[in-house]
Amino acid sequence: MSDLNFNYALLLPEIILAATGGIVLLSDAFRRELKLGRNMLPWITVAGAVLATLASVAQAGIVEDFAGIVLVDAFTTFFRVLFGLTLAVVVIGSHEYVAKQIRGQGEFYTMLLFATVGASFMAMSTELITAYVGIELLSFSLYVAVSLAKSDPRSGEAGLKYVLLGGLASAILLYGLSLVYGAAGSTDYATIAKNLSEGRDGMHAPLLMGLTMVIAGLGFKASAVPFHMWTPDAYEGAPLPVTAVLSATSKAAAFAVLLRLFGGPFLPAIADWQGTIAFLAVLTMVVGNLIAIQQHNIKRLLAYSSIGQVGFMLMAIVTISDASTSAVLMHLGGYLITNLAVFMGVIAFYNQTGSEEIADMKGLAETNPFLALVIAAGLFSLAGMPLLAGFTTKFILFQAAAYGGYLWLVGVAVVASTVSLYYYLMVIKQIYVIQTDGSLLDPQAHDVVVPRWRLTWTGYLTTATLLVAMVVVGLWVAPLAHAADSAAKALFG
Amino acid sequence: MGGAVVLNRLPLPAQLDRTVTTGGLLAGAIVTPPLIALIVLRVLGNISSAQMVWWMLAGVIVAGALGAVTLRNVVHSALALIAAAMGLAGMFLLLASEFLALVQVLVYGGGVAILLMFGLMLTNATEDPVVIDGSQKPFAAGVGLILGVALTAAMLSANWDASISTVVDFRDLGARLYRDFGVPFEVASLVLLVALVGAVAISRRDNDDDNDAEAAS
Amino acid sequence: MIPLEYYLVLSGILFALGFYGVLARRSAILILIAVELMLAAVSLNFVAFASYMDAELFTGVIFAIFVITIAAAEVGLALGIVLRIFRERRSANVDEASSLKW
Repeated sequence: MSDLNFNYALLLPEIILAATGGIVLLSDAFRRELKLGRNMLPWITVAGAVLATLASVAQAGIVEDFAGIVLVDAFTTFFRVLFGLTLAVVVIGSHEYVAKQIRGQGEFYTMLLFATVGASFMAMSTELITAYVGIELLSFSLYVAVSLAKSDPRSGEAGLKYVLLGGLASAILLYGLSLVYGAAGSTDYATIAKNLSEGRDGMHAPLLMGLTMVIAGLGFKASAVPFHMWTPDAYEGAPLPVTAVLSATSKAAAFAVLLRLFGGPFLPAIADWQGTIAFLAVLTMVVGNLIAIQQHNIKRLLAYSSIGQVGFMLMAIVTISDASTSAVLMHLGGYLITNLAVFMGVIAFYNQTGSEEIADMKGLAETNPFLALVIAAGLFSLAGMPLLAGFTTKFILFQAAAYGGYLWLVGVAVVASTVSLYYYLMVIKQIYVIQTDGSLLDPQAHDVVVPRWRLTWTGYLTTATLLVAMVVVGLWVAPLAHAADSAAKALFG
Repeated sequence: MGGAVVLNRLPLPAQLDRTVTTGGLLAGAIVTPPLIALIVLRVLGNISSAQMVWWMLAGVIVAGALGAVTLRNVVHSALALIAAAMGLAGMFLLLASEFLALVQVLVYGGGVAILLMFGLMLTNATEDPVVIDGSQKPFAAGVGLILGVALTAAMLSANWDASISTVVDFRDLGARLYRDFGVPFEVASLVLLVALVGAVAISRRDNDDDNDAEAAS
Repeated sequence: MIPLEYYLVLSGILFALGFYGVLARRSAILILIAVELMLAAVSLNFVAFASYMDAELFTGVIFAIFVITIAAAEVGLALGIVLRIFRERRSANVDEASSLKW
């Protein structure tokens, strides 16, 4: 056992993030002694996130394992960069919101940093214990972050529902993992794959049971229907930046674990889980997109829309292969950019108006044309309109699923995608077609010229960057495709 | 009669002794017959000592679990959970994992028990006159039954090539936990930190946070 | 010697009882207790598999240590949230936490 590799430099990005978490926590606690303002905290967080991203980019070419339980390869780097940039964007775009709406800013930023550490470990672990502890670190941080909204009773409620259902899901996931451990005799991915492909006799029933429970538990974390009941409540009750992280980091990390598990150790048992995941994918696409139609709160709408997106991405797990992994990684990248653009837009809108109702967005095209453009472009991209990131990546994803032999699944996805266009258009109609009466900005200002308002510079920075990224990925997908390809190759060798 | 006299002399709070007497008698009446049966079986040589202990512990665990999910008083329910956890610690001993048995006793008997009691005291949940269980009980019972049957069937249908259990040496355990699994260990410490900081930050009152603005202005 | 199946069936029963508890109970603390039962079933499973089938590496015992640790942390965190909700509305019932629809 002494031949383990303990090269701590491999964990540098996570160490940086965790250390930044500690620094933020302590500098908040001792801010009077250190003569620091609270407005320093977001910038410390951003510095940590950027440093960690740079450190993971610096490790791009490496394929090396740490003590046989985590692996740094192109797949890990892809997700590390994704998580690091997501954190930086969310913090820059929402620090004004956090200063007003969050109790315990230091704790809040610490939770976001630790959530990112957990997500990284989910993506890089090649062993069940580490993956599980990473999942719990991400979930715990988000349980806390969801409940930290100031004077909003929905926040505590959302936190309670999230923590209770999350605990239930963890228990189910763990029971499934224990059965897999019993049937495969190890928690190491490579050993599980070897033992399952050798096919021991008489292990079929517990293995099937275990896999089903693992799918249920991870399906909860990724909010696949029917394990999605927490999603709309947690999204609505959570502070907006946390909703953004829930829909970005949390989903991407769940897919990282799904890809690592079902593309590696569980691949020999594909006959036992393919049907279950296909069923989940159909249910998720249909239910998510249908329920989204009747939502009037933008957070709930985005919650159901993200459930629908998870359904599309689950198709890639059903037809898992080199090509479909690359496709789903690309779609994750495009989805994250798009979704963050919408969320940053909504946060800027909320900072100005204090509303998260879709009906209150009417006339946004007049009062703030730039923000209207960002939100509309983001929604069009989510729906899969050409020229934008969402179209390209979704097209490649559907194509990969079709090549994988699941043409009927792609058919359902196309119909669901068309339905999604309807509710995105309803929001865009509010923004562009319906005139504002100005009542939201100033209750007395009926029938007068509605004043335009501007974003803060950080608001402009994040939304403009994401808008540009959305268009660039839509028109020139090669760099993202290259990164996704090498990540998929790292997974499938 | 004699028992009642002795009870009256014991320095127990007046409310407690009735609970103790009835509870003790009830528990004794339920527990004694299977206990006698087990001892008879042991003496006749039908089961080994380990098996006798296993059945006793299994009885404690299942009874504790049943109590935890059915009792209407929240404090009793929490105590039943602790009883089940202690039974589980005994099971870990039978499975030759002494360390885990110790951890189980310390964490559940100490930490979780006190946490739950504090939580109950601070929320006055015992005085809450509301209905504890929902109307979905039959549904829940059905689902639980199906799950239990499915799990039992899956466990029994499998062909485990089980060898005899061996004692886990403390030194090997330490090496495995702190060297081979050093990374998840460190990550778990972050989880604990998150729980600690989070519990404080969440249960703190809103306005505790605002004195900073006054100090700055 | 006790067959492995004894432990596995016991853990299955424990898990099912916990699941019943989660579905049937309406008080947040009682749901938490039921979740703890399910996690206890998980650790019993892990230790049983470890000592019968993985005696050299006993990875299951390590896993059980992590499960117990994190389960205890979860109780603490969840009680913190329950406390906050209780202060806001004087009740620890999930049903009454319903300004968000399920």
